[in-house]
Amino acid sequence: MKRLRAWAAALLAAVAAMMATSGTARTPLDKVPTQAARIRHVFIIVLENKNYTDTFGTSTQDPYLQKTLVPMGALLTQYYGTGHVSLDNYIAMISGQAPTPDTADDCVPGLIGTLGNYTDVAQAGWAPQGQVVATAGCIYPTRVKTLVDQMTRVGLSWRGYMEDMGNDPARESAACGHPVIGVGTDHTNTAEAPSTAVPLGDAYASRHDPFVYFHSIIDSKSCKTNVVNLSRLQVDLAQLRTTPNLVFITPNLCNDGHDGAGTGATGTTCANGQPGGLRSADGFLRTWVPRILASPAYREDGLLIVTFDESTYGTVTSSRNTTTGQTTVDITYAGQTCCDQQPGPNLAGVRPSATTLVSTPTVVQKLVFAGFGGDRIGAVLVSPFILPGSTSATPYNHYGLLRSLEDIFHVGGYLGYAADDPRAGYHLNTIGNDEAIFQHP
Amino acid sequence: MMRRSSSTRNHVRALLPQLVLGIGAAFGVAGRADAALSPQAELGRQLFFDTALSASGRLACASCHSPAHGYGPPDGAAVRMGGAALDQPGSRAVPSLRYVLNRTPVWSKPFIASPTERLLEGNEPPAGGFGWDGRFDTLQAQAAFPLLAANEMANRDPEEVARKLAAAPYADRFKRVFGATIFADPRQAFAQARAALAAFELEDPSFHPYSSKYDDYLDGRASLSAQERRGLALFDEVQGGNCAACHPDRKGADGSHPLFTDYQFEALGVPRNPQLRANADPHFHDAGLCGPLRNDQRGQKSYCGLFKTPGLRNVATRRVFFHNGRFHTLKEALRFYVRRDTHPAQWYPASGGVVDKFDDLPRDERGNIDVIDAPLTRSAGQAPVWTDAQIDDVIAFLKTLTDRDAAPAALSVSNLHLQR
Repeated sequence: MKRLRAWAAALLAAVAAMMATSGTARTPLDKVPTQAARIRHVFIIVLENKNYTDTFGTSTQDPYLQKTLVPMGALLTQYYGTGHVSLDNYIAMISGQAPTPDTADDCVPGLIGTLGNYTDVAQAGWAPQGQVVATAGCIYPTRVKTLVDQMTRVGLSWRGYMEDMGNDPARESAACGHPVIGVGTDHTNTAEAPSTAVPLGDAYASRHDPFVYFHSIIDSKSCKTNVVNLSRLQVDLAQLRTTPNLVFITPNLCNDGHDGAGTGATGTTCANGQPGGLRSADGFLRTWVPRILASPAYREDGLLIVTFDESTYGTVTSSRNTTTGQTTVDITYAGQTCCDQQPGPNLAGVRPSATTLVSTPTVVQKLVFAGFGGDRIGAVLVSPFILPGSTSATPYNHYGLLRSLEDIFHVGGYLGYAADDPRAGYHLNTIGNDEAIFQHP
Repeated sequence: MMRRSSSTRNHVRALLPQLVLGIGAAFGVAGRADAALSPQAELGRQLFFDTALSASGRLACASCHSPAHGYGPPDGAAVRMGGAALDQPGSRAVPSLRYVLNRTPVWSKPFIASPTERLLEGNEPPAGGFGWDGRFDTLQAQAAFPLLAANEMANRDPEEVARKLAAAPYADRFKRVFGATIFADPRQAFAQARAALAAFELEDPSFHPYSSKYDDYLDGRASLSAQERRGLALFDEVQGGNCAACHPDRKGADGSHPLFTDYQFEALGVPRNPQLRANADPHFHDAGLCGPLRNDQRGQKSYCGLFKTPGLRNVATRRVFFHNGRFHTLKEALRFYVRRDTHPAQWYPASGGVVDKFDDLPRDERGNIDVIDAPLTRSAGQAPVWTDAQIDDVIAFLKTLTDRDAAPAALSVSNLHLQR
């Protein structure tokens, strides 16, 4: 009996110590059966548009990712993006919402979506699992919540660190930067090269910053303090108490691999002249990952996740009619999914689909989406609690990532397609349950 | 920062001594002393107006980039005449230097890694750089061209420019700014002169006055007339004029006022201009980004015919439009946009009933010309997106972009610039 009291006292002291560290109350740890239960700080770096087989196989442009981070951590070989082209993936990661007709196309006007640009979602109702039925639009109404709203509610902190945001203040603000709602073109769709007024150029892209697509975030005063330029991260990493529980990092369009072929060859570089592709992405990781891994928060209870928004498993075929001189270009995405992913309520006619983008006497461009998924991308996890060099073939996608984080942070519920649907037998795997990669208790 | 809020602009105006300097008076300039300018910029101002730096002794930067005309051409000559005897025609129409200089990005062609996204999100055209073909990444580099071009200021080499600088009335000032021994190294003196010109162009408030009615409108200090509002709506209409797609007209995220250019390159298929001496040779083609003035992109055939999008501030004061100066009224220029495809015979020569559309480019390069973006998507026989009355509305709007100090270019072309 006495020994039991002593054990209980020790447990209470440990819990108290945890509470003192995080400043928040913890819910029971039984939801995460591995050492992932100890994670209190998650660092996510999202890169762009690379195939799993390139990133973790054939490419010679990312030696740091392949030869340093993968052996150091765990490789998720069956991690899938949830859509094409970009924005819908980021939105899935933090809200569990399936695409609208516009977010499915990066809110670029004049394509498949009906509104495009930076416009409010036109909501027509609700579908099961909290899905917004939307006829168009990109910015979700306040009642649509996100992971960071959940975290805020339970007293956990978060920040989105966006490289280049606000480099050109005429283009977007340096904090919570986004285009004016409903007005004109989203100029962040194109990287801006350096000029006298903007010596570093500006390759921030709103469509790679999920936080600015939710009124629950952009209408909050905290958006200005929580969605910030990447330059803030080094200061925040310096101390445990200044490091948010969730650190979400989006490199600029060059350093996330979106722009540039990575070779440096003339005509294939980023707007700022850098090589881009996996080469610049690898350089970004080589710069920032050591800083993260050296931070007190990571060393205490951190998890680093490096993944991509989507794959580029697509084919481009081109043929020329020698009689008419007309060239026909067909672009086909496979759009593969995993994890019983559902298309959501808004993709009728959008995914799958075949759309003629351009039709002129000289050129016809067709876009074909054979499926609605984002294809296989993979992910690397690094943590003091990870089994170094481990591999998991358990299927995951961005909805599963959201569910995993909701478990790790004990936010008390699941959003959108991160939630179970017992009627359909829908249930996602979560990384904290993956005993192939996390140390056992 | 060039784009300023109205309050900042008013503050700057209040600081400016309203003193007209003699060096600018010959050009009808409000060349104002401004304590805020750096010594380099003050020196650059003197260089900008100095005709003695040209072989003819009659041509300064300000001759073509007239401060009284928004730093654009003072009259309707398609190109300006230069050379030692002022008998050599320039290569292209003179662009305005107002507003855009410190916002012009270095020339770049962002390459989207994913081939599918390249097509889906748009294979962005090249953007930036100074000049119609963007071949200069810095103003210092750009300044060398007119100083040394045989059909402009026509100095033989940098040493000749340096000798003129050493003999100039401001030579002592030049030495004070750049060092007592600066003229011992003519190449260095040439480089510093160009740096001084760049400093003047970037610093002097006369390059960015933001004094148009549209600026007042954006600041809530003026209202647009009904006709101007109609013109603005037509300018913005994506499926109509679609002008704002390349000439953005909204405030920036920081409240800064628009410059009406996205700095991107575009192939419009402007008709060949028979007024240009070079065009007497049917085999000569000014293909812009792929040459002949620019050399580094000659192999990029898909770039042939592309020229950089100019800003539209003070466009209603101009009498010469497009890179080859083909049009001399704003109405003609706008009619070309909306009737290029619906009435091609109005713009291009015909032979045997066949219109030679896009005649200023070789046939194998005409596929580069924009037929995708409105209003350039229509076919012969269709109605233009604008009527003539609507064009008048758009012109009324464009006139609101005229700065208070910008005089209309002369209708006639001065003898100086017509000499052949």
